[in-house]
Amino acid sequence: MIEITNQIKDIARKLFEEKKIDMFLAWEKSEFDFQSRPFYAQSIEDVENIVFDEFSIHNLSNALLRFRDGKERIGIVVKGCDSRGIVRLLEDHQFTRDRLYIVGVSCPGMKDPLKALRNESGFEKNTDADLSAAKCNDCIQPNPVIYDVLLGEEQAPRMQGERFKRVKEIEAMTPDERYAFFEDKLSTCIRCYACRQACVACNCRTCIFDESRPQWVGREANTSDNMMYHIIRASHMTGRCIECGECERVCPVNIPLMLLNQKLIKDVDSFFGPFDAGLKYEEGAKPPLSQYRENDPDDFL
Amino acid sequence: MKVIKKAKLEKVLEILAKEHDVYVPMQRGAQTGFFSFKTYNEDFDDIMLDTLNVYQPPKSIVFPQTEKMYGFKSEGQKINIDKVYEESEPKIIFGLRSCDLKAIDYLDELFFTKSYEDEFYRKRRDNTIMIVNACYNPGSSCFCDSMGVSPNEPKNADVLIHDIGEGDFAWEAKTDKGEAVTELIKDLLEEREVTLPTLKPFKRQVAYEGVAEKLKDMFDHPMWKDLSYPCHNCGICTYMCPTCYCFDIQVKTTGEEGYRFRCWDSCMYREYSQMAGGHNPRELDAERFRNRFLHKLQFFPERYGEPLCTGCGRCIVVCPAGVSIVKIIEKVKEADINNG
Repeated sequence: MIEITNQIKDIARKLFEEKKIDMFLAWEKSEFDFQSRPFYAQSIEDVENIVFDEFSIHNLSNALLRFRDGKERIGIVVKGCDSRGIVRLLEDHQFTRDRLYIVGVSCPGMKDPLKALRNESGFEKNTDADLSAAKCNDCIQPNPVIYDVLLGEEQAPRMQGERFKRVKEIEAMTPDERYAFFEDKLSTCIRCYACRQACVACNCRTCIFDESRPQWVGREANTSDNMMYHIIRASHMTGRCIECGECERVCPVNIPLMLLNQKLIKDVDSFFGPFDAGLKYEEGAKPPLSQYRENDPDDFL
Repeated sequence: MKVIKKAKLEKVLEILAKEHDVYVPMQRGAQTGFFSFKTYNEDFDDIMLDTLNVYQPPKSIVFPQTEKMYGFKSEGQKINIDKVYEESEPKIIFGLRSCDLKAIDYLDELFFTKSYEDEFYRKRRDNTIMIVNACYNPGSSCFCDSMGVSPNEPKNADVLIHDIGEGDFAWEAKTDKGEAVTELIKDLLEEREVTLPTLKPFKRQVAYEGVAEKLKDMFDHPMWKDLSYPCHNCGICTYMCPTCYCFDIQVKTTGEEGYRFRCWDSCMYREYSQMAGGHNPRELDAERFRNRFLHKLQFFPERYGEPLCTGCGRCIVVCPAGVSIVKIIEKVKEADINNG
């Protein structure tokens, strides 16, 4: 990882020297050894702080949304899943390829600084010494799918066994059981919208949940409004979720958000697929939910 | 001093729960927070009086995230208010920490002083008894003493309990309310001499002095933009904070009837500062980020004399982007305001 960090620094330094970028998105170390956090290097002097290590878990492609209306040329480090986020942004015309210099890193699986912080905090009885990020166990694409330069050795997907296994377990429940399951999970939501904010697929300029005229979803943190929030959030992810798992990782009350996302990934794949969002960038290509065909299946409606 | 065996704590809670809704720190599934002892299920829940603290602060017990205020019905052109929701069931918060009690002191300042008294908060607050668990072992994210909070000698506790090891808690009634609660469980208490633990040193400290004053000249400082970059502008820090109190008042109607309620709001959200005419004075993420810290470290101290942060460390633990209020305070101290 130190070698990759040095390679990234060399690349960033060169890009700044040659005035090819205005900003370089990577990670820096924070207060604890286990805490890496997003870093926005803005000059060649900042490059020294750049780090890529086993805690560089954040999906930085989401940060590009902040600059979508600007002219900044941005260098960015992406892992496999993050790179799919960039493909989605390009497909949705949220960013142009010529403003990006993409440093892809084949990802060996990450550790989760939030998990480490929780363990350390004293706010939790159940600690888990294994800091490996749960989300990485579902990884189907550790190697970047779009890049200008690729670092690290090619990695094999870490997902073991059957894909969508958890989804199938939920599908096998009776409607009442399923309702009770989600009622239990979603009633604890505090509506902090961290799942939305961490998401690269959430690229609406004004989110439906921030609309007040009309107000589509009530602001009460109760089961009914929470369910409405999560059903809408999940359905807006249809055909867009790139499975980076950041929503579920950042949730402060541990709602299994990827379960909802994966159900929709599975459905899009079976109804309109084969399809996985952001796996391949072809200019002008339209993902299933961006086009209409007369023979589109609709019997699930 | 009075002493209670830890083994008898559940008995204590059972007795107290006869006349009070008793909130206790628990691990419940994937969550930790203060849950009503009425809902305690020993197969699923784990009482957490032996850990540092819990994620969800006790603020919601006196100031719920969503709270109905009044109900109404319309008949033709007329609207009748047919119900006022006031919650005054006697409550006990059992085992909260000094930092979280101090946070409730700040809510008291907000809701009771400066010429307005909030009756909904008043009803809940006056009927809530605080049994504080003195803290001798600060955690890796704790910095309460830097923010003027004493972890083991809190002000305004009704009862103060001390974990004195050997399976015992020392029990000190501090107010009349505390005496009354003590009376309820007196048969379970024994009197003996105890040595209180010594407070372990803090691993984290920050020098807050002078920050509120200095911030007056830092509204336009470029550091806010740089510091705010990693921030996602989600509401985790505001909703997990024991002191953040911003709320909105909204209405829900179904047909001819409805109710008005208030619910927590977060300065991190764009909608929070959205004005009716369409203008938003804090349109940019960095502006909303700045406002959160200015409110805590400058505006609140200007109005109430103390910073709106009790050093509980929750925001540091839960922030997905590694934003730390301690680092922000340090940056303010370091900032060059002449070239800002």
